[in-house]
Amino acid sequence: MPRRPLLRIHENGCEPIGRRKALLGLVVLAFGGTACATVQPWQRGRLAHECMTFDADAAGAAYEAHWQESREGAAGGFGVQSGGCGCK
Amino acid sequence: MKGGLGPWLVATALPVLAAAGRTGVSQPAPDAPAVELRGPEGETVRLADFKGKVVLVDFWASWCAPCQASFPMLDRLYRQRHSDGLEVLAINVDEERQAAEAFLAKRPHAMPVFFDPKGHAPEAFRVEGMPSSYLLDRRGRIRFKHVGYTSSVGAAYEREVDALLAEEAPSANP
Repeated sequence: MPRRPLLRIHENGCEPIGRRKALLGLVVLAFGGTACATVQPWQRGRLAHECMTFDADAAGAAYEAHWQESREGAAGGFGVQSGGCGCK
Repeated sequence: MKGGLGPWLVATALPVLAAAGRTGVSQPAPDAPAVELRGPEGETVRLADFKGKVVLVDFWASWCAPCQASFPMLDRLYRQRHSDGLEVLAINVDEERQAAEAFLAKRPHAMPVFFDPKGHAPEAFRVEGMPSSYLLDRRGRIRFKHVGYTSSVGAAYEREVDALLAEEAPSANP
């Protein structure tokens, strides 16, 4: 008895996808799902924590970014300020 | 190749669409959502209990830098206008109570503070940034909303609060 395909896109013309391909698609879907997380503004306490900054010295990093931006014409190239808490 | 592309597109698009649905643009609600708030001792207060008063609902957190500036301003507003009918509800959304208590210990305040570590109230209000404040009129409708805080906003708060305080209270049987 031939194995039935798991998914079928069109009845005519298109070849049915194999079981393995379909499973692979589901795995990718599952991984894609885990990559999406909506962090609400009020849930950003951990993200706003000091230890989440890339630079140990905020003032030093700002100084360095300033001269790099002015000399290299790269204003805005190092990202924008704020810890993502939505603060204006 | 022709038949193999469809599921891949679906696999890619689904999570994106799901995320887009969750972060959909919120509409300003005319009526404030019915929320229950918990005070420092665990006592429960309903937002509806304050109907007839002008209510400023403020969402703040200890980790939010602008909140450090807005908190004393709101407390001052409360002290000045509480006798006129203003109620300020400062709702803390810190996940860890200790952080909130440390913040409060450094800032003596008269306005009531509530704790919502699970974020039920900000979710109901569809808070878009921190801090967020909602100014409710005497009928419990959201009339003004502020996201974020700068020192210049203080004057706007006073103006808006005064405008709402000047409005007549609803009759007992609306």
